[in-house]
Amino acid sequence: MRKTHHFLFAILITAILFTPAPAQKQKQNGNSTAAPNSHATAPLKLTLPVKDGSVKFAVIGDSGSGTEQQRDVGDMMMKYHALFPYDFVLMMGDNLYGGEAPQDFEKKFTEPYKALLDQKVKFYATLGNHDQALQVNYENFNMNGKEYYRFKKGNIAFYSLNSNYMEKKQVQWLEDELGRETAEWKIMFFHHPPYSSAKKHGSDGQLREVVEPIFLKYGVDVVLTGHDHVYERMKPQKGIYYFVSGAGGKLRTGDIDARSDITEKSYDRDLHFMLFEVVGDQMYFQAISRTGETIDSGVIKRR
Amino acid sequence: MKKQRYVCLWLLVSSVVWGAAVAFAQKTQNAALAEPVVVSPADKAAIEAFEKQVKEYIELRNKVRANAPKLSKDSTPEQIQAYRTALELSLRNARPNAKRGEFFLPATADYIRRTLKTEFRGQERQELREKIFEMETKSVVMRVNDPYPHSAEFSEMPAVLLTKLPQLPKELRYRFVGRNMLLVDRESDVIIDFMPDALP
Repeated sequence: MRKTHHFLFAILITAILFTPAPAQKQKQNGNSTAAPNSHATAPLKLTLPVKDGSVKFAVIGDSGSGTEQQRDVGDMMMKYHALFPYDFVLMMGDNLYGGEAPQDFEKKFTEPYKALLDQKVKFYATLGNHDQALQVNYENFNMNGKEYYRFKKGNIAFYSLNSNYMEKKQVQWLEDELGRETAEWKIMFFHHPPYSSAKKHGSDGQLREVVEPIFLKYGVDVVLTGHDHVYERMKPQKGIYYFVSGAGGKLRTGDIDARSDITEKSYDRDLHFMLFEVVGDQMYFQAISRTGETIDSGVIKRR
Repeated sequence: MKKQRYVCLWLLVSSVVWGAAVAFAQKTQNAALAEPVVVSPADKAAIEAFEKQVKEYIELRNKVRANAPKLSKDSTPEQIQAYRTALELSLRNARPNAKRGEFFLPATADYIRRTLKTEFRGQERQELREKIFEMETKSVVMRVNDPYPHSAEFSEMPAVLLTKLPQLPKELRYRFVGRNMLLVDRESDVIIDFMPDALP
């Protein structure tokens, strides 16, 4: 009888060893894309150090819905700006949904973020799968007419990539730029997530296959993405910190796969935005819901 | 007792075989992605013919573009709209008799179909198809010289695939709509050509 138990134990262990990790991508149809209508707000609470001379910025993704909820996020971003005067905002793509006539730019961008634009906060965009190519020429997206570009703030180099179309030329450009990069921090931002536990889209394996070896080779520290309309912070993947911040204007409630083994923290109940502060070798982050609730926070130490 | 041992042994062997099969399948899938597409002399000629068509299009486009309003990197939405509209109309007028298959000639189409077939096998192909079919592209009318509607979503072109397809200048893009593959003008979104049922 004891031998039988040993056999069964061996089978169990073998099965566990050979069973693939829980799928990082579970295909299911999207759930609700509507955000709650509640206007109740939580008391503002900042977890960032707010040091003089630090690099301060915010992140929004998949924002351009033109809805009341997007405007709520814009309002909350402005409230936090009073506490944490960030200089710029990174946009993770899908900046304008469903049309790009002048009135769309107004309804889906300049109106929701008017207060921030009035404060001279700069926006740096990347292209999503709903964005027309000519957005790169829009004055307020600061893309300088380029689908992929780099800029530097303090000791950080930011790289915006066009993940819709990761062609050879772009890959070569990225390698060349990273090869001569001197900034201490290297942060990538683009639309499609190489890692994601959302059920609608999930991890983009093809993209990951191309960009991850480059990120590893050149010591990229942080990767910011959108596309999945949720918030997710991954456990470091091969030493790199990945975030999905794709609910700045659209939400897919209940889309996070709770069985995922790559999630460190996730949130799919309301829209959100993020704040970052880099002080020397430390990067502080805080994810905040549409109503002002802190949904995640922490600090990343540069390798 | 003996029967129990047989059952256990059978389960053990099955789980090992199953695990090995899963590992092999994953390895095969990755190997398929890394596999270079074999380019025969006939394929090379097909790619060159395609590139020639593309080059001629770019020359025409550059002439047409000279008539469109100038667009700076700090443009307003109104300037962007004016440029896009002018470019779209000029390109359509410049190729009034454009028809399907002028770029994707039979030999080129055959090469691209084989590339797609090589690149996307099994689970990989299934996932790609699912991704593409989920896209909001119902409003796209598959007609050469028509604009790709601004309300329609763009398919992400798989990064590995892009390294295998004939390279395009920055003015043009490949795009999937359902199983069809399109060649689209990047700025004006005019459909230059398309291949029906390109995806296996």
